[in-house]
Amino acid sequence: MSRVVVCTWGTTGGAAELLTLGHGVATALGTELVWVVVGPTADDLASIAGRHGVTAVDRIVDAKLTTFGGDVAVEALAQYARQFEFRLLLVPQTFDARLTAPRLAARIDAGVVMNGLALGANGGEVAVTASAFGGDTRVVYVLAGADRYVVGMSTSALAVEPAPTATTPPVRDVALDLSGSEERIQVVARTETSGPRIEEATILVAGGRGLGDKANYRLVEELAEALGGMAAASRPIVDEGWAEPARQVGLTGKITRPQLYVAAGISGASQHMVGCAAAKTLVAINRDPEAAIFRYAKYGIVGDCLEILPALTRAVKG
Amino acid sequence: MAFRIVVCAKEVLDPDAVNNYALEGKLVIGDDGKSLTQSSIPRLMNAYDEQAIEAALRIREAGVPCTITVVSVGDPGDILKHAASLGIDEPVAIQADTAALDHHGIAKLLAAFVQSRGGADLVLCGRQGSDGDQGVVSALVGEHLGLPVVTIARAIDVTATGDTFGVRVVRVTPDGDETVAVPAPAVVTVSNELGQARYPTMAGRMAARKKKITSVTPAELGVAPAALRPRVTLTKQFVPTVKGACEMIAGASADEAAANLIARLRAENVLR
Repeated sequence: MSRVVVCTWGTTGGAAELLTLGHGVATALGTELVWVVVGPTADDLASIAGRHGVTAVDRIVDAKLTTFGGDVAVEALAQYARQFEFRLLLVPQTFDARLTAPRLAARIDAGVVMNGLALGANGGEVAVTASAFGGDTRVVYVLAGADRYVVGMSTSALAVEPAPTATTPPVRDVALDLSGSEERIQVVARTETSGPRIEEATILVAGGRGLGDKANYRLVEELAEALGGMAAASRPIVDEGWAEPARQVGLTGKITRPQLYVAAGISGASQHMVGCAAAKTLVAINRDPEAAIFRYAKYGIVGDCLEILPALTRAVKG
Repeated sequence: MAFRIVVCAKEVLDPDAVNNYALEGKLVIGDDGKSLTQSSIPRLMNAYDEQAIEAALRIREAGVPCTITVVSVGDPGDILKHAASLGIDEPVAIQADTAALDHHGIAKLLAAFVQSRGGADLVLCGRQGSDGDQGVVSALVGEHLGLPVVTIARAIDVTATGDTFGVRVVRVTPDGDETVAVPAPAVVTVSNELGQARYPTMAGRMAARKKKITSVTPAELGVAPAALRPRVTLTKQFVPTVKGACEMIAGASADEAAANLIARLRAENVLR
């Protein structure tokens, strides 16, 4: 039985999206969908699973599993993989999973693909469409040549839908022996990030090179404050030191999903768009009417952001 | 005993040039349906790998006696010459047809190379290739060598206690910086947060001309062709289409345009 396994840390963080995808793929392959939940689980685990047509839920709970991404998590999943049959193991592509997924793949001799945006099965052949060149292109990887695969899926653009037929899956606790597994990496210190984070903001105002100067970043902050949102930044101006790294949106920064994203003086390079493409409404302000950012925007103003930003702040304050 | 650093590096198509073509809507996929074939796109060292070399050079400059080896799988183009001009000790090319390999095969060869040298104290990789963005090779190499893997370093500090080395890494996480300690040997991936990588000096360039690139074959590393069989095959590449349905908000002045936009956002319930 070549099952499809969806593996999540807890029951949030893209689990519903991935279960929806997993159920579609399992159906196309004529097989079952199993949900492996590592770490903390919600009370309504079985009902979430049932809604998504899951055949069985396997729970991995261990006192040593405090973080997802370390040596113990990889060992736990490798032990699971040795006990149970599957063809595909899908994980939501979180920061930690970017390391855990390929490590697990190597440990269990599986193939691996990350950055998945879509996954399809056609006549038993599974193909993953993934982002490449910082979002400038898409590549299609065909999974053929290994018995098993670990695939990291970006869940922000995936839909959540219940399965056509609900199930009442059993919830099983998987017995693992993690006594010999210890973390080799010790965390010595963490910078406390105080206050709200741009990943969780409802409204973001982001500035880019079009601001011209570090001092002008305050125009971004002022509009953000007037809107009750947070200030964000593109990578070039973070590299220049105009804004803190915690404000950086994009491929090597934060992936945000605000209701409103105002991009001021940002050209719209793919590397940046990766971090704001999920915004519900994107507003672009740019001097160049041909700027790529307008292709992604719902509303645009062609003009100098040094004039438009304060004008917007005035308009909001009314 | 010198601290042995191996840096893994690859040649990529200049991502900025690719981005410029993409922004202009002029990025072309070749006849094979999967390659970017525009000859005007320069080939250069993956910038994250350059920063990995930079990290190695900084460790040496911090006073740790090091040997720095830079290894690349496949045709290295000019990147190993570039590495040599930066003052690394040994550039190594592993001969292979990268078009026939997947990340699994690349990682097998890199790990086999490290083993062929009796191991390394620190394996440094860029956080990901700026072409495929997969970022899996470092993790695969770490697993093949049985080493811990620390990702996305901003700074790397090596300390010696007698004959054993410890590595301290400041890594960038979504929750802020995290400092971790790991015993060597280890694999560490390096990101752009490390800061600008240096340029070669004239003296470095001159010295690089005399430096010979070591060439090894998979067979010499004890890797059989069967072990390199790809599990994942890239069959297609395409340029995603963007909707492009932007409604331009105009006004006689900045204030009028701004007022029109805010009114529109309020009418659409985006703003209250």
